[in-house]
Amino acid sequence: MKPFEAGYFEIADDGRPRLWASYSPEADLYYFPQRKVCAVTLGPVESRLLSGAGVLYSWTYVHEDRFGPSTGAFSGYGVGQIDLPEGVRIQARILGRLGDWAIGMPMEIDILALFQDGGPLVDAEGNELVTFCFRPADDA
Amino acid sequence: MGPFGEAYVIGVGMHPVTTQRTSVRELAYVAGSLALADAALGFDRVDCVYNGYRPVEGLISGVALAKEFGLTGVPVLQVENASATGSVAFREAVMAVATGRARVAMALGVAATAGPGFDDAPSPFGKPSMDGLLLPAGLFGMWAVRRMHDVGTTVETYAAIAAKNWNHARLNPTAKRRAAEAVTVEQVLASTPIAHPHTAMMAAARGGGGACAIVADAETARAVAADQGRPLVEVVASELQSERYVPGHVFAGAIVGPPELTRVTARAAYEQAGLGPEDLDLVQVHDAFPIEELVYIEQLGICAEGEADLLVTAGETALGGRIPFSTDGGLIARGHPIGATGLAQVWETTLQLRGEAGARQVDGARIGLLQMMGAGSVCSVQILKRR
Repeated sequence: MKPFEAGYFEIADDGRPRLWASYSPEADLYYFPQRKVCAVTLGPVESRLLSGAGVLYSWTYVHEDRFGPSTGAFSGYGVGQIDLPEGVRIQARILGRLGDWAIGMPMEIDILALFQDGGPLVDAEGNELVTFCFRPADDA
Repeated sequence: MGPFGEAYVIGVGMHPVTTQRTSVRELAYVAGSLALADAALGFDRVDCVYNGYRPVEGLISGVALAKEFGLTGVPVLQVENASATGSVAFREAVMAVATGRARVAMALGVAATAGPGFDDAPSPFGKPSMDGLLLPAGLFGMWAVRRMHDVGTTVETYAAIAAKNWNHARLNPTAKRRAAEAVTVEQVLASTPIAHPHTAMMAAARGGGGACAIVADAETARAVAADQGRPLVEVVASELQSERYVPGHVFAGAIVGPPELTRVTARAAYEQAGLGPEDLDLVQVHDAFPIEELVYIEQLGICAEGEADLLVTAGETALGGRIPFSTDGGLIARGHPIGATGLAQVWETTLQLRGEAGARQVDGARIGLLQMMGAGSVCSVQILKRR
């Protein structure tokens, strides 16, 4: 299992993703994904790992994969914006169904498998490529 | 206008928004030749051309579209800024005139009737990408859900905005969605769900199209206005800004930046024009979904934050109301032919300020504001004033 694209997250020993952010000491601000410079001071930033738990800021459920009629099989998916304690708002797929989510609920990061042409998306070495998502926390 | 000279809109033209297969050359030629005829000028008077066009693989470039008007050697530049493409083409034409680089400039926006996003082409969405954009309906769905939580906005209010824009489009011969009967809130809510709480009738209408504006200096504009017996339409503000950081800034996957981008861009435009929101007679916005129009009513300073719902439900943003929004149907019902949309706003506002908007005319319209968002993102705010 490998991240779909390097530089965004790593997979920790517990199997969960940890997001890479940039921290600006001068502004005391975190950014995701990583930036070249601080967006506010234009000064240097440092790489830091973010918390894997946060609070749901907003959500939606996408029924269609584009404007207008959909031509392919499509089952819909949830999308949310999750506020992490570092002050970062992450937009990501959220697991669950319409009715499962509420603004302010605790959320936890999880792995999301990727598919292509009906099978797992793999790289040249055969590694399954994954991305991150969030789901309602177990105690939510 | 601000630190620059003056610039006037002296001609506008539009090809109706359509999904009927039509070549981009035809769309561009119809819009451009109508605008030149409206200005009563030949193409040989045009000093520069700005083509707003998002090239689709296999189709000709925007620059080549200018050949249809003749080979005069005029400088032609293709510009692109997502949904704001037509707006930035217009802004470049305005800047060329206002800075004295041209006496007459043409801004020509066009969108193909086939390509990505249409039924016969692969969807650009849904492919795995860490920095990829979410479906617009999804991002604005999250705006809509959050506002329902914070302000208590109802889905009926979102549907009322969409129904209003559908009904405005019934009066616009260039609109994509021209319903035979008045559209109701119930119809909008009953249409296909797209991204909660949005339905298909709340979403920007897809389609190709073309729109063009001819911009000129004061001397040329006065001559044309006198010749045509109509008022001058001056561009009194043209602002374009990109994002500034706000707490909770979403860097990856968001289509447009925070709503505050419209507030700061509008503030700069008002300052440039020496006007305020209380001076406006009509407004066009990037209403890809009703939540946007609702939010922009507030961000443009028409009312305090959290109070736009009351304006909408009182009918104040409809034709006949205090401050009509999206008088031509907006993105929702006029349609959103990407490269042309910003210039369709110029077409509509110019006709309104001249008193030539027919059944959708805003009585006594003197000042109109045009706002567009472009993914990435940028906000464009321009103000036109009848002289």
